[in-house]
Amino acid sequence: MKMRDLLWAERRKLRRSNILLIAFFAVIMVAIIVYAQGQFSYYGKRYVEVNEWYMTAALSLGSLYVLPAIIALTGTYIIQLEDQSDTMKSLAIVPVSLPRMIRAKWIVTAVITLALYLILFLITLTTEAILHFPLLTPSGILSFVKQYIIQGLSLFLAVSPIIALAAKMRKGYWLAFIFAEGYSFAALFVGMQPTISAVYPITAAFHVSGYYKTTPTQMLLSICSLAICGTLTVAIFHQLKQES
Amino acid sequence: MDNLAIECRQLTKRYDEQSVVNQVNLNVKREHIYGLLGRNGAGKTTIMKMILGLTAPTSGEVLIFGMPLQRNEKRLYPRIGALIEKPGFYPNLTGTENLEIFAKLRGTTQSDAVRKALDVVGLPYQDRKIFGQYSMGMKQRLGIANAILHDPELLILDEPTNGLDPIGIAEMRAFIHNMSAQFGKTILISSHILSEITLLADDIGILHNGILLEENTIAELEKKNRKYIQLEVSDAAKAVLTLEQDFSIKDYSVQDLHLLHVYDTSLDMGKINQALIQQGITIISAQRCNDTLEDYFRKVTGGEGIA
Repeated sequence: MKMRDLLWAERRKLRRSNILLIAFFAVIMVAIIVYAQGQFSYYGKRYVEVNEWYMTAALSLGSLYVLPAIIALTGTYIIQLEDQSDTMKSLAIVPVSLPRMIRAKWIVTAVITLALYLILFLITLTTEAILHFPLLTPSGILSFVKQYIIQGLSLFLAVSPIIALAAKMRKGYWLAFIFAEGYSFAALFVGMQPTISAVYPITAAFHVSGYYKTTPTQMLLSICSLAICGTLTVAIFHQLKQES
Repeated sequence: MDNLAIECRQLTKRYDEQSVVNQVNLNVKREHIYGLLGRNGAGKTTIMKMILGLTAPTSGEVLIFGMPLQRNEKRLYPRIGALIEKPGFYPNLTGTENLEIFAKLRGTTQSDAVRKALDVVGLPYQDRKIFGQYSMGMKQRLGIANAILHDPELLILDEPTNGLDPIGIAEMRAFIHNMSAQFGKTILISSHILSEITLLADDIGILHNGILLEENTIAELEKKNRKYIQLEVSDAAKAVLTLEQDFSIKDYSVQDLHLLHVYDTSLDMGKINQALIQQGITIISAQRCNDTLEDYFRKVTGGEGIA
């Protein structure tokens, strides 16, 4: 069975799915809440009036408070779709290879994560363009696009073990959501210590994306940390395959 | 054997110490409808799951078209269509969208396969109703549509009339019959409803507490359970001679030295008695018996019977 067909099927399964609406709504809420926060003043100037503040703040606040949990929720939902809809027995006699299907689901979750970050980027860019059009530069925009994309993919890797564990334990996706929320919230405290912040996967994503000013050692530690997350996820999925 | 679509040898499934299916030898002939009859919890679904490789047997083996499923999945699965337990589909998608996914994953080349399958089960093509809003009957039909989507040779249907209204049951029966008679499909169907199986199947397997009590053709079973006159006499052999000579009876069976069954129930009991007495045969008892298949099943299942 071709991976292209599996990806097509995974995309098709998400039609009219509430999970995508929830994820989209979460991104919109991030944009609105960060904009509302930008109305606070600092030395007589509203935060939102500072060039690029909105794009920077949306990336960090979204990545710390909302998006990890949303990615975990979406990923777990996608992976557990067959359990929830009792379709595995029908797919098994097609036959569909479970490991390949999980791989397809993982890719789809990564694409959705990327799409969420790009939507957030487009909203913040549009807002910035309205607020300070003359100050926008192509290099600045490109730098933010890069940061949003890398941040999205890195965060996806950071959250992946939670998705894999929830799939393995066959626990509800809301549990993955709550766990991921705690996991990302802890990053607020972990982020205060430079070495630990480079290792802790959620904050490692900020190092890799270039949001944090980072040393080569920290960068290496962060890349390793995220690679371990990816490897761990693959290992859990492999175990899942053997169990099935 | 070449004419067998499914062959189960000593198939056993245990969960911990509890035996759910016990040394079942089941043989489904090609192009036949095989009815697996048993009460709820008898082990019908477990046997079907083991045949399909959805659960591993504790011991024994299954051959499908003469091959074990293991290591032949890619060759065998395209030849099998199945509906096990309640049909599972994605609730947010329409029937057509659900089938399109399965068609794509199966690599179905026929462009109108989905439309054809839906036509066969009487569901609309490209309807806007999503599966989550389907009635039980519609879900069951969609399950069947999915099973026949790739035009398989073998259909395994677990209680396909579950949840259907009387008209739906009749339609499903006609559909299954048509699949076998017109398209030569081999069908293994399970049910806990005796009348359902007797109306459909060519062959029948009676399953009780995980044990296959009997496997036979419906015709044979009906023969065993037809109406008859039971005569208990002093000498069965002499009585047979009298009956053959005086009444030209050919359809009878001698049960033992004193007991015989005469299957021509139109005979006059009075005349039979008179003829036997004239020959000096003592009649201990004479009665008309009318065992139904249900009586028979009650007998073989140890009195518990099947609905």
